[in-house]
Amino acid sequence: MDSLSSKSLPEISNLLDEYGIKHGPVVETTRNLYVKKLREAMTKGKRAKPSSDKTFYREEEEEVTYVYRTPTRSDISGDGGAYMRSRPEWTEREYEHETSYSSYSKPRPEYRGSDLVDEPYMYDTPSTYKNSYSKITAMKSEQQVPKVQKSSRLVPLWLQLLFFLALAAFLYLVFSNMEINESIKGIM
Amino acid sequence: MLQLILWISDKTMSSTSKKHGAFVAEPMGEKRVTALPGIGKILGGRMEESGFDKANVVLGQFLVLKKDEELFDNWLKDTCGANAKQQRDCYGCLREWCDDFL
Repeated sequence: MDSLSSKSLPEISNLLDEYGIKHGPVVETTRNLYVKKLREAMTKGKRAKPSSDKTFYREEEEEVTYVYRTPTRSDISGDGGAYMRSRPEWTEREYEHETSYSSYSKPRPEYRGSDLVDEPYMYDTPSTYKNSYSKITAMKSEQQVPKVQKSSRLVPLWLQLLFFLALAAFLYLVFSNMEINESIKGIM
Repeated sequence: MLQLILWISDKTMSSTSKKHGAFVAEPMGEKRVTALPGIGKILGGRMEESGFDKANVVLGQFLVLKKDEELFDNWLKDTCGANAKQQRDCYGCLREWCDDFL
């Protein structure tokens, strides 16, 4: 395992993509977090397609990817069906973000070197998946959040009621055992 | 007696609900990081040491992490040692503030 702490920010970003880890911009303040995530992914032996050799020699890569370009276009559209089928499986797992991304991360390394016209087209299908997935998880988390908020009382409700009843009983006892004077007769 | 009842009712409310309510009610402007629910004096001090001296800087980090709960919670824990409840309170507040104002 090469030293992650010496990697540059774009390199970390590429590694995250290879491991199919959903991530935001890799900047100084997020760098450590993502390095941690990468280490976890590496130790868990997640599926990763290392393409570090491809990112080094960009000029050469352009020539190489030219050959691959036509197959990957049809691959994306063909694989769209495969992703749909595999989706129900992923939802059961804990890391649904990450595994869903890893399922279509395969075609991406092949075109990474070419920052040309192909990029907007390529990102089309992954982004729609990202949106629909984030909606599902947003809905799930929204459902969970109200539940959590309801049970976030410091003192449980039943305990409050019990305390109140005990207090009422106590007061009644005290009041009923009081010696009655002339002045209190008006109240009783 | 009345004071006792008031004390009980105060404790049964979520302890950060006041802070939360105050924060999400208005634009945060230049509020200090200790204005965030979950962030008290100690945690606030640690965050300021790390350069996160205002709530809006923490908001920046929250947005850069794409409002992801797990990432933000981890970042908060690493930066100031917040526990699970503090993470939850801070995240929940920022998310609500973003829903209202962003």
